[in-house]
Formats: sequence, structure tokens, C-alpha cells
Amino acid sequence: MQGVLGAFHHLDTTVHAIEELKKARLGDVTVFSPTIRHEIDDAIDAPNSVVRRFTLVGALLGVSFGYWISIWTGDYWPLVTGGKAIASWIPYTIIGFEVMVLVGCLSTVAGMFINARIPRLTTTVGYDPRFSGGHFGIFVSCGADKAPQVEALLQKHGADEVRRED
Amino acid sequence: MGTIAQPVEELRRPNIASADVQLPAVKDYEQVDREIIATLGFTKKWLIGLSVSIAAMLVGASAWIYQIYWGLGQAGYEPPVMWGVYIITFVFWVGIGHAGTLISAILYLFRAGFRTSIYRAAEAMTVFAVMTAGLFPIIHIGRPWKFFWLIPYPNWRLLWPNFKSPLVWDVFAISTYLTISTTFLYIGLIPDLAVLRDRETNPTRKRIYGILSLGWRNSDREWRHFAKAYLFLAAFSTPLVLSVHSVVSFDFAMSLTPGWHASIFPPYFVAGAIFSGFAMVWTIAIPMRKWFKLEHYITLNHLDATAKVVLFTSMVVGCAYMIEFFIAWYSGVRPEQEFFWNRVFGQWWWAAWIMLLCNMALPMSLWSQKLRRNPTWLWFLSIFINIGMWYERFVIVVPSLSHEFEPWQWGSYTPSWVDMSFLVGSFGWFFMWFLLFVKQMPVMAIMELKEIVVPRRKHAVDGGHH
Repeated sequence: MQGVLGAFHHLDTTVHAIEELKKARLGDVTVFSPTIRHEIDDAIDAPNSVVRRFTLVGALLGVSFGYWISIWTGDYWPLVTGGKAIASWIPYTIIGFEVMVLVGCLSTVAGMFINARIPRLTTTVGYDPRFSGGHFGIFVSCGADKAPQVEALLQKHGADEVRRED
Repeated sequence: MGTIAQPVEELRRPNIASADVQLPAVKDYEQVDREIIATLGFTKKWLIGLSVSIAAMLVGASAWIYQIYWGLGQAGYEPPVMWGVYIITFVFWVGIGHAGTLISAILYLFRAGFRTSIYRAAEAMTVFAVMTAGLFPIIHIGRPWKFFWLIPYPNWRLLWPNFKSPLVWDVFAISTYLTISTTFLYIGLIPDLAVLRDRETNPTRKRIYGILSLGWRNSDREWRHFAKAYLFLAAFSTPLVLSVHSVVSFDFAMSLTPGWHASIFPPYFVAGAIFSGFAMVWTIAIPMRKWFKLEHYITLNHLDATAKVVLFTSMVVGCAYMIEFFIAWYSGVRPEQEFFWNRVFGQWWWAAWIMLLCNMALPMSLWSQKLRRNPTWLWFLSIFINIGMWYERFVIVVPSLSHEFEPWQWGSYTPSWVDMSFLVGSFGWFFMWFLLFVKQMPVMAIMELKEIVVPRRKHAVDGGHH
């Protein structure tokens, strides 16, 4: 993927660069930060994560399976005790709850992996090891025609280093 | 939101940890990386600790081989006491395993700032404690190779496990808890593993960290989905942690044995688990902050905050003890009344008084702020609480089984050397894993510590300049 990468040492200059890049519409912007910062979230203004849908679907499947397996096995080989229900919902709620949590959590993780596009074999173009340390990074995916504009904008906002990536 | 010409007006609060517990001695992101990564270096003290743990673990392993060869009769069971040290120690370790998820999940949802410095160690402690606990039912069944019978799939006669049995609930609860705790620990570790990958100079270790970090790049897309997934994992783990020890308490409360058949058991067990888990966090974290020189990360404010949780849960547990006596008196049921009299003045009086001293009396010292901020006292208190909580489970299991309804059934119980070897071995097993963990993985969440640290800004905010 072609583009321009800028490394920043300051949060506020990174935020300002993101805002101006979004206004200028020079290409898709990817921001790297050593930790979660609300200021960057606000500047990017990305849509809400869809991981919650994976969670909901997984939890519903899990709770349904938990109740189904206990009720079905109870009916399949009944342990008949006078006055006691074959399918007893109170103890089966424990099974339903535990399986709901199990499948709900695992599908949440699957949702995160799918949407964050991990695992990946390499850190790919546009990453610098400094971004897990103390630097912020902005990668703008663009062609050679727009690259000078992007470089100028990043430098204007005080990027420590600006370089082209192929 | 700031504009191009002006600085961002205000510093937004971190969304994972609140800034209630500040780290004034931590100046920037690089310092966090440097100091936490420095804990990974091998030291002589660590090697000695690991050797002692492995030796203790081998004591337990040898006892297990001996028991498998000679049979379960080598454990000190005598009718009617057919649950002993194994089930006591199982419940003890499940309880220890509660604090990790409480700290990482429940305190996360409540935005309790003091969790940030201690939650990684507590999460690891949870995983290893549940791994330790999970061994005991397998040891207790005598023929461990038959353990798979508890897994819910039909046998060759198409007979399934009974889903109405508390033992099957245990299998579901403990295995779910272990899976989710491990997942939660690993997901939180991914960004920190990327830090290790990027700083590591040894090519083999760099490659291993690279694989474990799954190609994490700290991009906005990754953080967005990570934050949401972490929130949902915390939201699921919160009721899970409460359910697990409730289910363990059902192992007792579902039977008609005096001292067990009580509706107070689930909250009583959960409070006790949090109490003992926090004590074990002290047992681990207080030496760790000193040996790794992390006093400016786990500050006295952090210890003070955890001490308040311990004080509160001690009072909940103490209240539960008293309510048990009250209900026995109020019920008018003679065997129940006899049992509770026997608990404190009968055959096992010493165990009950150790429990009351360690769990109710000594934690009252935490009303003193001076003692809450004294790491040496907190560490010794944690040892007393660990002892007290083991004896609490002893008091629940042994006196009840040895003193049921019919006097001709009453009996005694003396743990054998095999029982005690398993107890020693369980501590060896637990600390072996923990010590191995602290030298391979960051003991504190680098990513979350960076959230608390004020980021560098070119333009001053509120008079500050970094």
C-alpha cells in the first residue's frame, strides 16, 4: 500500500494534523498511538465498533444451546423422581448462563479479531516500532500525486519525521 | 475539540482507568516501557524462588504418583468424612482466583483507578489459582484418567451427565471461568506484547513476542475494536465471577447436611473469595513492588484502597459467620443448634477460632490508616488471612461431615502426609507458574499505565508543559 507516514511526539499536534487531513480529503487516514486516547477518537470520529453484534449473537446462541442440551438430555433419558420435573428450569439456568458467557465472550474475541484484522503475519506497511513506545503516527494512503501535499501538511503540524511508504 | 490554530482545550480523562490514583513519579510513556520491561531480567532471588516452588510442586507430584499406585485410601479419609483436604484446598484456590477478575473486570466497569497497577498480576494469579483448583477434583476422584466422564458428551450407552447435579454445574462454571479468565488476560496482553516485540533485541524472543502479539500495530481501528471487546469481556466476567463461587457454594448448600444447607452460602462464599483473593494479591504484589522497584507504580494509595476492600469484605464475611449462628438458634432445629455449638466449643474448636481470629479480628486493624499504608503489616496480615480462609473451608467441610444427624455416625478426620503433600504441592505449582509468568510477560499493563500518564503536548494545557 502506497502512502505517507508521519511520526509525531506530541498528542495535540497529532490531533490537529488528523483534523486537517480529514478536511483536505487526501486519502484514508490510519492513526497509531501507544495507548487509547479520546482526543484521537474524537478527531477520527470513526463509527461505533460492530463487535457488540458478535457479542449479542454469541450470547444468544450460547444460552439457547445451554438450555437445549440440558432439556434434551433430560428428555432423552429421563431420571423420573416423584413430584420432580424432568426438565427443571432452575438448575438448567446455571448451564444456560455459563454457556451464554462462554460463547458470548469467545464470539466477542472473534468479532474483535475479524474487525481489527488480526492476527496478521507482519505489521505491514505504515508501521514504525516507535508507535508502541512514545510516538504517535499518521499514515495517509495516497498516490504519488497527492503525496507532496500530505508531506507538507504533516510537516506543518510538527511531525518529527515524514517518509513515503511503498 | 481543538482547532488547528489552538491547543486542545482540555485533557480528556482516560477511558479505561480513572485518574483517581495518579502516578506522579511516572513522567512519560518511554519511562513506563523502560521500567516495566526492566522487570523481565532474571535475578538470583527469582531463581531461588522458582527452585523452591518447583521443589514444593514435586512434593505434591510425588504424593500423587504414590496415591495413584496405592489408591485413594492413602488420603486421610475416615467415614463419615469423605471430603477432606482436597475439597478444602479446591475451594480455597477457587476463592483466590476471584480477586483477579474482580479487579480486572468489576473495578474496570466501576472505573476504580487503583486497579491499573495491580490488575495484570491479579489476572495472572486468577488463571494460575484456577488451574491449581482444577487439579483437586481430579485428584479427589482417585482415578484421574476417568475425569473425562464429567465432560458433557454421551457415553457408549448414550447416557449423559446429570445436568441437575452440582458437580456438573462445577464443571461448567470452573471450565468457563478458566477459559474466560485466560482469554481476558491474553486480550489485555496483546498491546503489551507488541511493546515487547518492538523493544526486544534477542531475535528468538522477538519472534516469539511477534507471534504472540498477532501483528498488533496500535492503529485506531485496532484500538476501537479492542476497547469495545474489552468492555464486553468485562461485562460478561462480572456476573461470571459472582456465579462461579455461588456454584461452588451449591456443592455444599444443595445437601441437607447441618451447617451446609443455608441460603446465605452464595453471597457468603463470594465475599470470602474476594476477601481471600485480595489477601493473595498483597502476598504477591507487596514483595513484587519492592523487588522490582515498582513502589512508584503500586503506591501507598493503591495499597490503602485495596485495604479498604479487604476491611469491607472481612466485615461481610464476619456478618455471615454471625448470621449462621443466629439462624441456627432462631430455626429451633436441634441438630443445627448442636452443630454450631460444636463448631466453636467441640472437637474442632481450634480451627473455628483460628478462622475467627484471622478473618474477623485481625482485619479490624485496617480501620487505622497508618496500618493500611504499612506494606509490611499488610503482607503479614495477608498471610494470616490466607491461613484463616483455608481454615474457614476446613470448618465448613470437616465438622459438618463428622457431626451429622445421627450420633452413631459421628466420626473424626486426620489429614495424612499425602493430603498435606498435596497442599504444599499446590502452593509450589501456583508460585512456579506465577514466577515463570513475571519473567516472560509484563507484570503491569503498559498500555493502561500510559493512559494515566499525561501525554506530551507542544502547547501547554492548564499551565503544564511536557
